[in-house]
Amino acid sequence: MTTSANKSIRAQSQTSAPDVAEENVVRVRGLVKRYRDGTAANRGIDLNVRRGEVVSILGPNGAGKTTFLRQLTTELKPTSGSVEIFGVNAVAEPESAKRMMGITPQEGGVFETLTVLEHFELFARFKGLRRREARLAAFDVADELGLGAEINKRVGHLSGGQRRRILIGLALLGRPPLLILDEPTTGLDPASRQTVWKVIRHVVAEGSTVIFSTHYMEEAERLSDRIGIIESGRLAAFDTLDKLFARLERSYRVEFSDPFDPLVEKSVRYFATFAEAQEHTASEQLSEYSIARASLEDIYFALTGERFVKAEEGEGA
Amino acid sequence: MKRITDILCVFRIHLARLRREAGPFVLAALIFPTAMYLFAVAVSGAEEISDEKRLRFLAGSIVFSLSMTSISWLGYLLLENRFTGRLKLFATLPLAPSSYIFGVIIFALAQAALGTTTLLIVARALGVRANVSIASLSLVVLLTMLCLCGLSVSIAARARSFSEGSLLTDSLGAGLVFLAPVYYSAQAMPAALSSVSKWLPTSFAASGVQTALTGNFQAGTELLALALMTLMTLSLGFRLMRWREE
Repeated sequence: MTTSANKSIRAQSQTSAPDVAEENVVRVRGLVKRYRDGTAANRGIDLNVRRGEVVSILGPNGAGKTTFLRQLTTELKPTSGSVEIFGVNAVAEPESAKRMMGITPQEGGVFETLTVLEHFELFARFKGLRRREARLAAFDVADELGLGAEINKRVGHLSGGQRRRILIGLALLGRPPLLILDEPTTGLDPASRQTVWKVIRHVVAEGSTVIFSTHYMEEAERLSDRIGIIESGRLAAFDTLDKLFARLERSYRVEFSDPFDPLVEKSVRYFATFAEAQEHTASEQLSEYSIARASLEDIYFALTGERFVKAEEGEGA
Repeated sequence: MKRITDILCVFRIHLARLRREAGPFVLAALIFPTAMYLFAVAVSGAEEISDEKRLRFLAGSIVFSLSMTSISWLGYLLLENRFTGRLKLFATLPLAPSSYIFGVIIFALAQAALGTTTLLIVARALGVRANVSIASLSLVVLLTMLCLCGLSVSIAARARSFSEGSLLTDSLGAGLVFLAPVYYSAQAMPAALSSVSKWLPTSFAASGVQTALTGNFQAGTELLALALMTLMTLSLGFRLMRWREE
């Protein structure tokens, strides 16, 4: 799937990245972003990302995920704290740091009068690929993202999902050693989302590191080595899925509905063991229920408290 | 070498826009200025219009075309890039903001060359007798464009919204021409306005273009003034155009 051009560029970018003694390719310390109006979007984030890892960043809307990623990509200057990308100080040397990154911004726009091929070719040239390499890389990336049939079409004629895939493709060009993708699959249909997941797995298999934000728990669960949850500008948790599960004292979930009023929203209760969960269903004489291990969504809600806030609002109404 | 490639890629991206959506350019850089020339000739009042007046109107129309190309049309494109997220794509790349600015300026210069040449051909067809000094005209056009592009870059970099920015570029694009004594003499203006308008870049540009159209190289004052203004507006543009938000 990947031509020699893309591989050679990939090798170049990886060798051009300064050797770091430790495995951490991204090192963030005490990252604070306070806007002029006093809003503190990030309140002291510390985080290391190891080479070859896939890290997902979750959090409610407005929690500070995008602000955090924009500081990693050098788009936003931190109020204080440091960001190192492959040992390069990204705050002081943004252009050098960006040479090692492929970035998909959350709200990036495409050029409607350019074709898909022109987009990929021109942006590959910006990334330092020679004309021939740029052309090969353009076809490669278009094929990887399922845009081969659209390669000569103007972007203005493509759907929103196809445009989103072009933005992801722009980040992949030249196979940078670090990919930072801000909600890459938002607005994509299930098939396109699967294509993007496949591409992420593929670049990671080739040695790249990926950091992405998402609202889809399933996506984070399937792709990530470690998951970070940002809540009110702080990194509330950052660990592997197993370790995040271990944080839950009650990791069995019973979901049940009222058999006499099926239109009422299902209720959920958590238990420490499977036996306790079963006991509850028996003692309550539940006829329609399911028992399952807690999911990432449960951890997310436990850490962010989002569901409980909603429940309280519902009760008050 | 990377820098030159970057500049040319920015230029090519915008050229594709011009190739596929030439309408606004043709309207702003050719049709309106030609119409303004014909209008100025028609309302000049004299039955037999002098060559000097025709050259002044032609110079005015060339400056009008440059102003529409560099401020209204280029400003619109730059604002569109910024407010539709396209600028973010450039900001994600290892690309210096100055390469982006140079790329769009080269794009504007190419349009200016095309627009000015076409207007000269149209003027010839309309019977204007000009003895054009190519070198002098090129220099005046170059400096005028650089100066006005600096203004568009500054507006596009600082506008708080697309509508605010486009209103500014539109009014500046047309206003700078109509406030300068290019279609009428400075004596016809109110004194207060005249003292302001003589310092506008378009006033120096019109005077420089008119001199160049008579085959004269002696546009030293105009060139010097335009060079100084270019230095100011471009410095401001480069200073304001940044990838990184504070």
